[in-house]
Amino acid sequence: MMFNRIEEESEMNQQLKVGIIGDYDPNLRFHIATNESLNHAAAALSGSLEASWLPTESLADGSIETILRPFDALWCGPGSPYKSMDGALQAIRFAREQGWPFIGT
Amino acid sequence: MLGIQGAEHEESSPTAPTLLISKLSCSLAGKTQSIRVVTDSHAHRAYGQKEVIEQFYCNYGLNPAFRNDINKGQLKVTGADLDGEVRIVELSDHPFYVATLFLPQVSSTPGSPHPILVAYLKAARSFQVSRKSNETRGTVCKI
Repeated sequence: MMFNRIEEESEMNQQLKVGIIGDYDPNLRFHIATNESLNHAAAALSGSLEASWLPTESLADGSIETILRPFDALWCGPGSPYKSMDGALQAIRFAREQGWPFIGT
Repeated sequence: MLGIQGAEHEESSPTAPTLLISKLSCSLAGKTQSIRVVTDSHAHRAYGQKEVIEQFYCNYGLNPAFRNDINKGQLKVTGADLDGEVRIVELSDHPFYVATLFLPQVSSTPGSPHPILVAYLKAARSFQVSRKSNETRGTVCKI
């Protein structure tokens, strides 16, 4: 039993991978705040986190499942209009239909 | 999702006939507003209170003409301003699917992470663990 508990705890502390749907611009305050706020929340949970921005045009080319499946959660970030509204909507649909944790801000 | 054909956004398609997302009558860019949160929602569980104050930076929102349609499907309004305008929506049949008109990331600080984002990462963690245990079970079955 003890062994199981330790194993469970180590799983709980695995790095979280968050995919951010959006066209990252390092000059945009809201994009920087998105990255920083994820780190704040992860630290509150004593966990580590890796965030990756997913350019919307890359989400519109048909390989969306391969791109999105590795993530533990998806976030539709600020900054509309997106370069590809279709790519952004497809990713949001994936999260909705496949049950991926999702936030849109 | 709601079966609204040709639903469009006024920012990208200003002349479309069906504007599900339209320009707000009063821009919310740079404004702070109180939001009433519906109980038994992700937002309410995250905040632990019924009224919260958030910062907005947007000019577009749900067209009030569709206010009654939005609750017909699985999408539920779980946060509204004091005039009833939609500010938070969630999917009811989903582990965690929350959309906000405000930007929770802007008010987050290292000492005070935003409660909705903490709840979001908790959901991500549960999802990661359940996926991992399903994969392990799958491997065992193959053997």
